[in-house]
Amino acid sequence: MKTLDELILPDDLRYTRDHEWARIEGDLVRVGITDYAQDQLGDVVYVELPEPGQTLGRGEEFGTVESVKAVSELYLPVGGEIVEVNAGLSDAPQLVNESPYDRGWMVLVRPSDPAEIEGLLDAEAYREHLEGIA
Amino acid sequence: MARHTVLGQWHRRHGANPAEFAGYEMPLWYPAGARAEHLAVLAAVGVFDTSHMAVLRVSGPGAFGLLQHCHTRDLGALLPVGDPPRCTYGVFLDARGHVVDDAVVYGLSPDRFLVVVNAGMGPRVAAHLTAHAPGPGAVVEDLTDRLGKIDVQGPGAARLLEPLLADPDRAFRDLGWFRFRGHFDPRAPEAGQVQWRDGTPVLLSRTGYTGEFGFELYVEAHRAPAIWADLVEAGEGRGLLPCGLAARDSLRTGAVLPLAHQDLGGRPFVRNPWTHALPLGPGGTGYTKEFLGRAALEAAEDAAWTLPFAGFDPRKVPSGASVRSESGRALGTVLTCTTDMGIDRVEGRIVSVASPDRPAGFTPRGLCCGFVRVDEPLPPGARVELCHGRRSIPVEIVSDIRPDRTARLPIAAMRTRPSSAPSPEEPP
Repeated sequence: MKTLDELILPDDLRYTRDHEWARIEGDLVRVGITDYAQDQLGDVVYVELPEPGQTLGRGEEFGTVESVKAVSELYLPVGGEIVEVNAGLSDAPQLVNESPYDRGWMVLVRPSDPAEIEGLLDAEAYREHLEGIA
Repeated sequence: MARHTVLGQWHRRHGANPAEFAGYEMPLWYPAGARAEHLAVLAAVGVFDTSHMAVLRVSGPGAFGLLQHCHTRDLGALLPVGDPPRCTYGVFLDARGHVVDDAVVYGLSPDRFLVVVNAGMGPRVAAHLTAHAPGPGAVVEDLTDRLGKIDVQGPGAARLLEPLLADPDRAFRDLGWFRFRGHFDPRAPEAGQVQWRDGTPVLLSRTGYTGEFGFELYVEAHRAPAIWADLVEAGEGRGLLPCGLAARDSLRTGAVLPLAHQDLGGRPFVRNPWTHALPLGPGGTGYTKEFLGRAALEAAEDAAWTLPFAGFDPRKVPSGASVRSESGRALGTVLTCTTDMGIDRVEGRIVSVASPDRPAGFTPRGLCCGFVRVDEPLPPGARVELCHGRRSIPVEIVSDIRPDRTARLPIAAMRTRPSSAPSPEEPP
């Protein structure tokens, strides 16, 4: 298990207390789970993602990530339309472990209210949140 | 505060992800991850610290009578003690026919037995045995804290051990499935029969909890760290991985082996995949001996059925989820549900990474599998749904889960120079 010092928490991302990350890409937001989340879950064996085109609210469940240990729900950091999902995860769910911030991304969202992203944690605040639960 | 085994320091130093299990802090997986550990046991070899398991010594002129009364197997099959001696798997039942614990009994002599039960269960099983002794003359001692136990599992297990044992030819001679040799106690008469290369006496048992070829090693606790380190070092370049509880659980489930209190608890021990642990007569009818709990089993005519299942993808549900028919009728509950990461469906049929007829480039996604308890005797091939919250997963009732397991292959075929072609051995 990684110690807090070993966790990778990029400064250009925003985070939720449920361990999702969000990255602003133009007028879209890419979403995945954090290095902490994948380390806690262990080997990811299956990822269930929504159909593109659905619109979901902030904090709504958009899928599940299934590891050797447990099934965990995924919650959307910002509400909006799902414009794309990472189809590569169906054949290679281990990308969530190997590359949580890059090849292991989960959904791309067109936010209904771009201001919602300001309500998310920055890397420093998320690290403090992890210190609180460690 | 959780206890640690004698190998706890090694686990922490090597990045184990810890979990509390039966009062012990144990590795759930190491940095390689549970999938790699599971696959290592199917293709190469894995080592497991199982020092948390409890070991009882039952000795004295009343020892055989006590165990024969309390354990479900006919222990007469362990006597007279052969070379190598035998051990056998069964359960201890209470008067209701419910499982107190499952146990492997080792017959060292007519008045000396070892009984291996689950982690944390030593005191309870010892009290159960003492309370139900049919006569005097049996002493039950809990040796758990004096012992280290290491499981070496996988097709490479014998080749890994060969250079580490003082006399592998003697240790392995005729060591079939559920046979053992040696003793961990240097004062025991059997102690010289299996020795580590440094002279440490070892009880070497051709058993395990993975369904794969391998051994369980029992040694005095203070010797376990050096033996573990020797195994890990010798395994470099052989695909060896230290394995945690997650891989242990997924491997045993794919091998249709129960976890005592999850799969066997709270009901009479009948109508399940493990009734070979009962002393059934020829043709599977009638019991060959009296034993505690027998009357309750014979009266259990309305008991539910415990059946293995396998799914079609890796998705799973928690223990306790409901089982429904395809039309939505409630049938029962899920006991164990995990993902065997070494198997997948190929045109509907389950194939393992160890199957000789697997397709080229076979890389399994894993299949959900486990046991359900249902109100009717569903046949293999029946489809049911496992339901939890919004999730509903279709699975199939099966008679077996992971194909092409290696546990029963003859030891001669698993050594450095195979002397015969593999063929399954008969259970003892």
